Amino acid sequence: MPQVIIDGKKYQFEGQPGLLQFCLDHGIELPHFCYHPSMSIPANCRQCLVDIGAPARDRASGEIQVNEDGEPVIQYFPKLQTSCSHVIADGQVIHTARTSEKVKDAQCDTLEFLLINHPLDCPICDQAGHCPLQIQAYKYGPEGSRFEFKKVHKPKKVKLGPRVVLDAERCINCTRCVRFTDEISKSGQLTIIERGVKNYPITPPGVSFDEPYSMNVIDICPVGALTSVDFRFQARIWEMASTPSITTTNAKGSNCYLWVRDNLVLRITPRDNPDVNEFWLPDEDRLTYQRFNEDRPAGPSVDQNTEQTSWDTSFQRVVDLLGHHGQNMLFIGSAYATVEDNWMLLQLAEAVGGQVAGFIPHVDIGHGDGWLRTDDRTPNGQGCERLGIPPLDLPLWRARIESGEFDAMYVLEDDPVASGLCSLESLVDMDVILHYYNTTNQTLPATRVALPAAMVAETIGTYVNESGRAQRVVPAKVIKGTNRTLMMQMGLSRADRHGTPFDRWHNESHYINCKPSWEIIPILLEKLGVRDVPKGPRKMMNHLSEANPAFLGATYEAMGLGGVQLSSMEMEVMG
Amino acid sequence: MADFIRNPVVRLPDPDPEPHFSSDELNFTSDEKDRISAWVRQYPTSDGAVMWTLWLAQEKFGFLPPEVLQLVATELGLPYAQVYGVATFYTQYYKEKKGAFVLDVCTCFSCQFTGGYDILAYLEEKLKVKRGHTSPCGRFTVQEAECLGACGSAPMMQVNNGPYAHHLTPEKIDTLIQAMETGQPLPFVSITLPQDEDEMGDNRRSDADAIESYQTPPQSKRTQ
Repeated sequence: MPQVIIDGKKYQFEGQPGLLQFCLDHGIELPHFCYHPSMSIPANCRQCLVDIGAPARDRASGEIQVNEDGEPVIQYFPKLQTSCSHVIADGQVIHTARTSEKVKDAQCDTLEFLLINHPLDCPICDQAGHCPLQIQAYKYGPEGSRFEFKKVHKPKKVKLGPRVVLDAERCINCTRCVRFTDEISKSGQLTIIERGVKNYPITPPGVSFDEPYSMNVIDICPVGALTSVDFRFQARIWEMASTPSITTTNAKGSNCYLWVRDNLVLRITPRDNPDVNEFWLPDEDRLTYQRFNEDRPAGPSVDQNTEQTSWDTSFQRVVDLLGHHGQNMLFIGSAYATVEDNWMLLQLAEAVGGQVAGFIPHVDIGHGDGWLRTDDRTPNGQGCERLGIPPLDLPLWRARIESGEFDAMYVLEDDPVASGLCSLESLVDMDVILHYYNTTNQTLPATRVALPAAMVAETIGTYVNESGRAQRVVPAKVIKGTNRTLMMQMGLSRADRHGTPFDRWHNESHYINCKPSWEIIPILLEKLGVRDVPKGPRKMMNHLSEANPAFLGATYEAMGLGGVQLSSMEMEVMG
Repeated sequence: MADFIRNPVVRLPDPDPEPHFSSDELNFTSDEKDRISAWVRQYPTSDGAVMWTLWLAQEKFGFLPPEVLQLVATELGLPYAQVYGVATFYTQYYKEKKGAFVLDVCTCFSCQFTGGYDILAYLEEKLKVKRGHTSPCGRFTVQEAECLGACGSAPMMQVNNGPYAHHLTPEKIDTLIQAMETGQPLPFVSITLPQDEDEMGDNRRSDADAIESYQTPPQSKRTQ
């Protein structure tokens, strides 16, 4: 197998790997700015320079020349090479800054040039703390500045579009954003204008940077030149905890991080998953973070009364209603809820002799783009269908509900009124039990019992995306009350997990009084006298992964952070 | 550039400029379209032809406001942003309206040494226009330019991205401006390249006789 020697150590390789990516894959750090694995390689930041040599060959015979010790004679390139654009060949010898003074000096000098016109506003810059330029300037850069002249002043806080702000002074012209719009999102809305010290990226006159994937350029920007209109100056990076999760805006289930401070979700950024969303996240997925924080319920309510209602009294009322209506209750699952929650609803319906009619579909034809946005605006339609819960035919069921066929309705984490399943008037004579997320839920005025449900940021659970990939989430923020299962799954880096009321980040006012549906329904089942209900989502999925062939292998261990691909449903039917 | 060093401020281009041309004016004739498609055919992708097409558009419309860049982008099937980026990179593409004669006076090293700034100041005074601006009559734009690659015949200037005027003196400027104002062709001055000297009997300057105002030895030092 061909091999290369990097810093004196031999590495074997296959095919024609790029040197920079090869080094990164093998844990050899090389500073770089413009290189991004999914885009073309312009090699314009000049930061990843390395010294490359190859065995010298005799011109006449083509034999590799050897010295007295029998070692091949290495001929080095006359100048340093950019490792991002260099394709490794057999026998090459590569020196990084660790073994070559020349490379070290070159990288230091490149950084000095990059920093000449870079403003020294790290203390107020959103990128500070996770800024490649800042990190690499510390690691590889010069100690001080020798530049005694006026720095070039370029336009600041330019609103490129509705969601992205440009600070041109901070830009180092790596062209990642321009290449993103040219090669990945293909909107072609950005370009670098002017030249020399005057250049910076911007949209042409009359064009707004409003494409549905525009905020990805904020993530790939290696400096703080592109920032989010929404998140600008909201929090320092080290004050937040990031928790791996998935987005629930559509059926793609793109992987993301939820960034939490003071128990509030402040932003959502993409998490690499080559099988789902690679490095990217559509803007619609990022801008939904406010619904985790705002309009959240104060607690459970019975007969519209929240103040005097405890969880216990509301559970008792639900059990009474279930016992009273029994079979005549309409159970509605939810494509917003997890697989575990929906499965528990199936158990509940079975316990009282009823049936889950289906889930309310939220399909917006034409919204999808074949990439990371889908027509289906719910995260778990596929999970419901795999459980045997079909999408409801809205006009049909609307007619049935309004004809007064049902006395009661049990709705899991959805909004029947807003989604057009029924009108508020038709619910007047019905006993409605609702698991809900936000106080903006339009069905709330008609509820007999309203139970606040934990959202994706607060719960543990499994979602199945449109291509049948089962992915699990862990809680990113704390809810009121003690739930050992949730606490155990909380990320270890969470400041507020280890905090006490005396710590400045501790803020109990942002704890939402809600419970995951997989906690609520087993309590109801127990009160109804059902035994052997699996406790906790992990056990539920373990049970499902064995009992239901549509979830074969979807245990928490198998799903990990990247998810697991389930076999397609058609095959299940055929098998 | 000197002004920029003293006051290094890069301004934001007008994000929403008023269009200069109506949509009726904004089109290429079929002849022009043929020329453009001939250029496109020379390259693997159509962005190879963007500079040719911009040049054609500048000759046709006089300058390249955003709506003309948009027209070029549509014609070539390229992103408007890309065409805009190319047009702003080159100073030879005029992004705003210029005078009928654009005088690029070189003030880079060799020209500066031999009086480039004097020439620039003389032009400013004669045409009553500040560098970087267009004269009130709308005929002349005077600009500072970086090295135009004619150090051997400094000080020099370029007229309308085309002919060079070499070995400038105030008198020579007067003649040039006279010719421009009366619409005569500019006086042609041929400059020899060093590699041709042997064929010309060591005479470095073919127009040696024509120069009266300031004399340099017509003979190269090698023969002395």
